[in-house]
Amino acid sequence: MSISLEHLSKSFGTEPVLTDINDVVPDGSLTALLGPSGSGKSTLLRMIAGLETVDQGRIVLHGRDVTHTPARRRNIGFCFQDYAPFYQLSVFDNIAYGLKVRRTAKVDIEREVRELLALVRLEAFADRYPRQLSGGQRQRMALARALAIKPEVLLLDEPFAALDAQVGGELRQWVRSLQHDLGITTLLVTHNQAEAMEVADRVVILNHGRIEQAGEPSAVYDNPVNHFVRSFLGPTTPFNGVAVRPHDLTFVDSTEGVAGVVADVIRLGFEVRVVVTFGDDTTSWVQLTHEEAQRRSVTLGQPVTVAVRR
Amino acid sequence: MMKTSPLWLRFVVVTYILLLVGVPLGFDYQRMFAHGWSGLVAAFGDPMMRSAMWLTVRVVVMTVPLNTVVGVGVALWIVRHPSWRSRLVDRIIDVPLAISPIIIGLMLELAYASNGWFGRPEAALGLHIIFSFPGIVLASVFVSLPLVSRQLIPLLRELGDHQEQTAASLGAGPVRIFLSITLRSLLWATAYGVSLTTARVLGEYGAVLIVSGNIAGLTQTLTLNIGSNFENYDAFHGFVGAGVLATTSIVILLVLGIARHRERKRHEHLA
Amino acid sequence: MAPNRVTPPTLPTQPPRTGWLRWRSSGLFSPGAQGATLLFYSLVVLVPLTALFSSAFTHGWGVFWRDATATEAIHAYRLTIVCSLAGAAINAVAGLAIAWVLVCDTFPGKSLINALIDLPFALPTVVAGVTFYTLYGPLSPVHLTLTGTWVGITVAIVFVTLPFTVRSVQPVLETMTFSAEAAAATLGASGVRTFFTITLPTLSPAIITGAGLAFARAMGEYGSVVFISNNLPYHTEVASSYIYSLASSQNPVAAAATAVAMLLMALVALTAVSVTSRRLVRGR
Repeated sequence: MSISLEHLSKSFGTEPVLTDINDVVPDGSLTALLGPSGSGKSTLLRMIAGLETVDQGRIVLHGRDVTHTPARRRNIGFCFQDYAPFYQLSVFDNIAYGLKVRRTAKVDIEREVRELLALVRLEAFADRYPRQLSGGQRQRMALARALAIKPEVLLLDEPFAALDAQVGGELRQWVRSLQHDLGITTLLVTHNQAEAMEVADRVVILNHGRIEQAGEPSAVYDNPVNHFVRSFLGPTTPFNGVAVRPHDLTFVDSTEGVAGVVADVIRLGFEVRVVVTFGDDTTSWVQLTHEEAQRRSVTLGQPVTVAVRR
Repeated sequence: MMKTSPLWLRFVVVTYILLLVGVPLGFDYQRMFAHGWSGLVAAFGDPMMRSAMWLTVRVVVMTVPLNTVVGVGVALWIVRHPSWRSRLVDRIIDVPLAISPIIIGLMLELAYASNGWFGRPEAALGLHIIFSFPGIVLASVFVSLPLVSRQLIPLLRELGDHQEQTAASLGAGPVRIFLSITLRSLLWATAYGVSLTTARVLGEYGAVLIVSGNIAGLTQTLTLNIGSNFENYDAFHGFVGAGVLATTSIVILLVLGIARHRERKRHEHLA
Repeated sequence: MAPNRVTPPTLPTQPPRTGWLRWRSSGLFSPGAQGATLLFYSLVVLVPLTALFSSAFTHGWGVFWRDATATEAIHAYRLTIVCSLAGAAINAVAGLAIAWVLVCDTFPGKSLINALIDLPFALPTVVAGVTFYTLYGPLSPVHLTLTGTWVGITVAIVFVTLPFTVRSVQPVLETMTFSAEAAAATLGASGVRTFFTITLPTLSPAIITGAGLAFARAMGEYGSVVFISNNLPYHTEVASSYIYSLASSQNPVAAAATAVAMLLMALVALTAVSVTSRRLVRGR
């Protein structure tokens, strides 16, 4: 089920939030909407779900124009950033909510909810209430609740932002493989570039309400169209008047580079960050593996020559 | 996006409040001015009403400062210096709000009337509490007792005592700390509580009705005077008194609004 | 360039706390002041409360029971409870609607409406009583006579308890994000269904608390009710009126017995309310 966004625009009062958004989310893909806060990515997601009105343009779900269809008739699964649990309902009833709305027979509800509980590994928690669950468990409950209505597309708003790093990391992998197994077209909003790179088949980079670039993660990472995309996707450091990735810099033995002096050495686990000051008082940051730094026995005050790695 | 209300609901709510509160209030003032300004001025010449107003002022002047000092002290005591004694006070602090004013009046009469529990010691000391001024003050103190401390206790719990500790670590003395930190942060919440206390004391009817004996010109407060004017088919004088009290209530509401606004501002500064 | 390594400045290990300690033990909380406060509370609250209970049982349990369950008393309780329940129910519905409009809507004059909500708290009950009596009495300018009816008593109760539910629901509504409502919408629920299955259960503890306080207040209401009720024994006499008539007809023991019965009923009601609203906040 593909999602086509055609010339979408939206403003809150006089403040434009989204300007002329055009994109096609391919059927069965996991696409990440990536952008800094205030870039309009969550608003775009809410517009697709029908939770925000559209000022201009069209939203087409697999050939069906849903631009003015109310949220409850779009059949879209949506997971909220705060998971929006129904606190007064048990986990079972949370997941069953959409099925009850659809007047599904009681036995079918029972069966389908049990299946979903197994899918999100919450079988033992059916009778608990959301306040008795951990963040990761609430997240999985929200996912099961959204999947219960057999949605055509799944929208996830910052799904891992409220979780601690370890739980978030595990859930990312799990969501990725779940999406793969179900093959459901999924759109995920995040401000975390590492998360987008890790999870998505495709990233759409938003800034100030406009799409800067869209494509496969590695293609966008390697060939950013502008400085914003380059700096947003990963760290950059100035070198010879241009911004480059610190991993792309290295020390060379030849003279085909810029000569400088090591000003600081910071150990970052597996890697080492070496700060180099050049003759013209500019500074670059060279990221080496620990092994490489040891081989070169980098020390403070050492004269070095820096060049772009090939 | 769900945070809207349909137009009809707004209309219903506004109409409901205007009918329930606005119309009676307007009606009150209309009756107060039924005989024009001159009639109103003449009504204030009524000696019974003047004596009732004067008595109410005296009761307010006695009760409000007393309950303010007790309220601030008790709130500080309960939050900052807990002990079994303060916890006992904490337990009974809200009791007056849960009891009907008529029952409060009855209780006080049973305890302090000349044929009540303390009748003999009172007579021996030459004290008259029930059916005289002290009884009215006692009833007023009772009904408005928790109003200041109820405002302060949650605020003090939320504030903690870090500011006082900081001031102390900077070398400030206890008096200075109390005046410049503690009282200052409690100022608007106290003003709120004092306004509520004043409104309650001015408006108390049931409890005062029992303990005062309702003797016109002697132990009749303004609320009792309004009631007795009505019972004596003198509705006009009743409405003049009612208008005076309604106006005072509106002024108190304005003070309450300002105090709440200031308190909220302080809150936003902290957040 | 030197490596950027900063030694933290040494902090004084023990800040001077003498002033603070002196403040803690200053005269404000001296044993004398504590004792005086306790004495004050005892004389104002505890002694009268004890006097009430002991008077109620002066002639023993049997007389207490006879006084507390006299036919006139039973009629008064019933009327009071019916009108208080009706008032609290109206208060719950109206309070929710008012809070909703005040929180979710903006319109000119909203702050005036907001201020009018508090008027019943500030306005003396007797003023409300005489106003309603004149407005809806035998000489009603709007030709609506409610005196001597339970409807009239309920109107007075609805007026004096107006702020309770509004002020308990308002803060809850203000902090609501409505994302659960949006979630229900994406799951296919209609607006009405969302309101009854999601919004109302979320607000119900606050509504019940507010309506419960309104009920307790209504049970003891006197000044606002006594005029419009006409005070007809066995018919339109509320409990507090009945207690007053016993007290002023030199029957303090029966008055105390009825008062104790009323206090116990109010206690039961308030306990039920707090238990219910706590059980509604499930899973904490």
